[in-house]
Amino acid sequence: MTPRRLASKRSTGTQVVRRHKPDYQILLFMGLLMLLGLVVMYAIGPQRANVLNNVYGTDYYGSTYFFVKQTISLFLALVTFAIAASLPYTFLQKHAGKLVVAGLGACALLVLFGNLLHVDAIAQCSLGACRWFSLGPLGSIQPAEFLKFGLLIFTAGFLGTRAQQGLINDIKQTLIPLGVLTATSLLFIIVIQKDMGTGITLVSMLAAMIVVAGLRLRTGLLITGIMLVVGVGLILMAPHRIDRVTTFFSGDNTSDNSANGYQIDHAKMAIGTGGLTGVGIGNSVEATGYLPEAINDSVFAIMGETFGFVGLIAILALFTALLLRLLRVSDHLVDIRLKVLVAGVFGWLGSHVILNVGAMIGIFPLTGITLPLLSFGGTSMVFIAAALGLAFQLSRYTVFGSKLRSNEYEDSQRRRGVGRSRNAGRRRFA
Amino acid sequence: MVIFATRLFYLQIIKHNDYVAQAAAEQIKPLTIPAKRGLIYAMDGTSPVPLVINQTVYTMFADPSTVNEESKVLSTIRQVAGGNLRPNLEDLLSRRESRYQILGTQLTRQQAELIKKQNLTGIGFQEESQRVYPEGSLASQTLGFVNTEGKGQYGIEQSLNDRMTGHDGLLKSVTDVSGVPLTIGNQNINKPAQNGDNIALTIDRNIQAYTEKALAAGLQHSHAPNGSVVVMDPQSGKVLAMANLPTYDPSQYNKVTDASAFDNPIVSTPYEPGSDIKTFTMATGLDKGVVTPDSTYNNTDSIKIGDRTITNATKGQTGNITFQHALNYSLNTGFVTVEERLGDGTDINDQSRNTMYDYFHNHFGFAQNTGIEVAGEAPGIIIPPTSADGNAVRYSNMAFGQGLDITMIQVASGFSALVNGGTYYQPTVVGGTVDDSGNLNPAPLKAPRRGVITAATSATIHDMIHTARQAFYAKQDKAGYDIGGKTGTSQTLVNGQYVDNQTVATYLGYGGDVTSAKYVIMVQVSGPGLNLQGNLDALPIFTNVSNWLIDYLKLQPKG
Repeated sequence: MTPRRLASKRSTGTQVVRRHKPDYQILLFMGLLMLLGLVVMYAIGPQRANVLNNVYGTDYYGSTYFFVKQTISLFLALVTFAIAASLPYTFLQKHAGKLVVAGLGACALLVLFGNLLHVDAIAQCSLGACRWFSLGPLGSIQPAEFLKFGLLIFTAGFLGTRAQQGLINDIKQTLIPLGVLTATSLLFIIVIQKDMGTGITLVSMLAAMIVVAGLRLRTGLLITGIMLVVGVGLILMAPHRIDRVTTFFSGDNTSDNSANGYQIDHAKMAIGTGGLTGVGIGNSVEATGYLPEAINDSVFAIMGETFGFVGLIAILALFTALLLRLLRVSDHLVDIRLKVLVAGVFGWLGSHVILNVGAMIGIFPLTGITLPLLSFGGTSMVFIAAALGLAFQLSRYTVFGSKLRSNEYEDSQRRRGVGRSRNAGRRRFA
Repeated sequence: MVIFATRLFYLQIIKHNDYVAQAAAEQIKPLTIPAKRGLIYAMDGTSPVPLVINQTVYTMFADPSTVNEESKVLSTIRQVAGGNLRPNLEDLLSRRESRYQILGTQLTRQQAELIKKQNLTGIGFQEESQRVYPEGSLASQTLGFVNTEGKGQYGIEQSLNDRMTGHDGLLKSVTDVSGVPLTIGNQNINKPAQNGDNIALTIDRNIQAYTEKALAAGLQHSHAPNGSVVVMDPQSGKVLAMANLPTYDPSQYNKVTDASAFDNPIVSTPYEPGSDIKTFTMATGLDKGVVTPDSTYNNTDSIKIGDRTITNATKGQTGNITFQHALNYSLNTGFVTVEERLGDGTDINDQSRNTMYDYFHNHFGFAQNTGIEVAGEAPGIIIPPTSADGNAVRYSNMAFGQGLDITMIQVASGFSALVNGGTYYQPTVVGGTVDDSGNLNPAPLKAPRRGVITAATSATIHDMIHTARQAFYAKQDKAGYDIGGKTGTSQTLVNGQYVDNQTVATYLGYGGDVTSAKYVIMVQVSGPGLNLQGNLDALPIFTNVSNWLIDYLKLQPKG
């Protein structure tokens, strides 16, 4: 590999990092999860198609409809991953502000067409919540995910710069602007689109970033407190959220027959029937219409039924490994902006996994978000792949030592898994 | 992640059985597999042909609250199934608060498929099985019908309802959320439906059809509204035809206003059979050895029994005449005399009455249900000699067929024993079952009662009946065959009085070749206020059917 000098913007000023081999484990774990999702889509697609055909009284959905669509989504996601992995990060960083504006603009357009003009051909709404742009036969796209991606890059640059300036805990310079940006985004996502799940993942992503950027504990607790108050307020604003929370607190033996109780009951039933090794591919009964959102938000439960305890532990292990790789990349990056960005990817992915799985196994309230890389659905897949692509790109610029830990001895143990020549990042180690 | 793993362990390993049970409770549904109702076959010679079959028809319904293309719905269903629709479709569809309105009934599968193809929202179909009668109203009173609840009514549909219904199967299967069975899992129980038996009647469709035609022609000739003909095989008790008029169309049973049309009068309407019974009185006398065809009595055209005087319908055959002569002219006095001779010869005493009751009731099966497989059989009544009403006058009347109420099937079955050598076969309309490939499995014969009269008596009465017919009607029969019969003209009770201006005409006879009797035919013609004669109104129908049967059965002529 040709060592290429990074532009000065990428250096911390104290260290020049050479480009080296990326962390292929990110690609490996992501690919494994995607393939697993595809297998399940193949297995339950026909049943899902059958359910939809029954509901709508058509035979529009063929038995491979979902498998083919998911394959296309995966292909798109891999292309996006490749672009995000090769498009110079600096380029994205430069236009991050525009991405955020575009994301917010898209959300505003959705409000215009969906909530105000009620143009069903453009905005997909259900129960007054318009979350999707319809792209006709191509499917649909969720602008909130796009906004999340824009915010990831923009906030990374913003917080990284502030951290370099030592202003990360400065209320006027850092916290208020970030708070305004967050509040604007959440206004669209939670209040207008009524999408608590996406809102929480956005906040989690931002929280991971600001913590890595060096937030003081005291300030952090203060922000958490404010967020909690706002969160409770938002929960009380929407009846369906109260519903979900009460469902959650009524516990395992809920006789709640609300829609949420039903979904969680059946998710637990699906997971429970899986037992140690599962009922096997193609034998899922819950997927035949009992469990709502079987191929989207509830896919974890279907996997539990299909692959059992062993399978779910493996899936959780894959996610854990992927998340740990992201943490490690973040840890080993030198440039604080890059660190923050990868931490954001970590927060994004981690919050999705925790919220989704937690809801499925009945330890968190239901929020209605996808399980990244496994759920059916293109938007989520493409943007998480883009985020992972960025992390993959940045994994080329890690150094062998943790940049949070300081003054540790260098020994051969420390070099394991760094995957680049010993001296690659050390030449001008200060 | 540790929390997640622990929770998963709890859900999947510890609570696994709970959740499996919960899931099973919801996912495994018992589905009834409806058993097919058995079909009914008639015989066509020796092979069974269907008389009653099942057809799947569809009831079309709407869920008006979800119908959204009302004009398309209306135009489509009117075009495809115009004749099956309710008249007030617009009104039915406008009942928006309703979830279920029947729009049409009895749609064929083809019509239903055509409408289904249009994907009309809110229109659905319910599958139903309905009885179809390829031969129309043929033998309808023997068949009966199936009501809207799927229960057999009248005829063998009622009497063999359980056999023809079969047993519904049970499918316990994992189903999807809308109840469609899946092939997943090993807890599925599949108990196939046991379809009802396909019944093969002893009724021969050709004989039945001809008999119905002959009866209709005879009634038209007599201007009589009511008539019945039963054709039996005297060597087995099998009923070959039962024709009644008026009748009904079983596919339109709901349009029948007078439910009496559903009854089969041959088995369910006892009546006073009249002079046909003289053959039984004669046979009893012969069997007891108190008379022979050639023994004589002094006919004065009247005979005094108690305070009543019994007279002959045909007068002038007075003097010392034989009992054959009395049978030929159907002289009442002759058979009252036979009955007197069953006792001490001068009076109808206890012994004669007991003997007659024993023969009529116990030997010939009168006033007892024959056990024929047609619902609604009525036994009728013979007053026993032990009853106050069972006096000499009553029994003198019974000697020529008055004062007892019995059914045609009883008379025809008893008559079969008279002419077949003395064996009583229980009459039956069920010849067996038909398997799915159309093969006949004959039903085991019921044990006959042999020797109800001796073979010698049977041979004698056989000849006497033959002679009685040949005395006047020989020219009407095909030459070379052994045909015998007896007319009957019974008075009916109107307001408790026997009247002469409303009579029931009957004819009871047999036909066969030189070896044995091959068929027994009994004809009855009646009508309120009509004075009908056995020889004029019933006999021609017998002759018509008899001559046709000789050809149909390909009987060998003598010589």
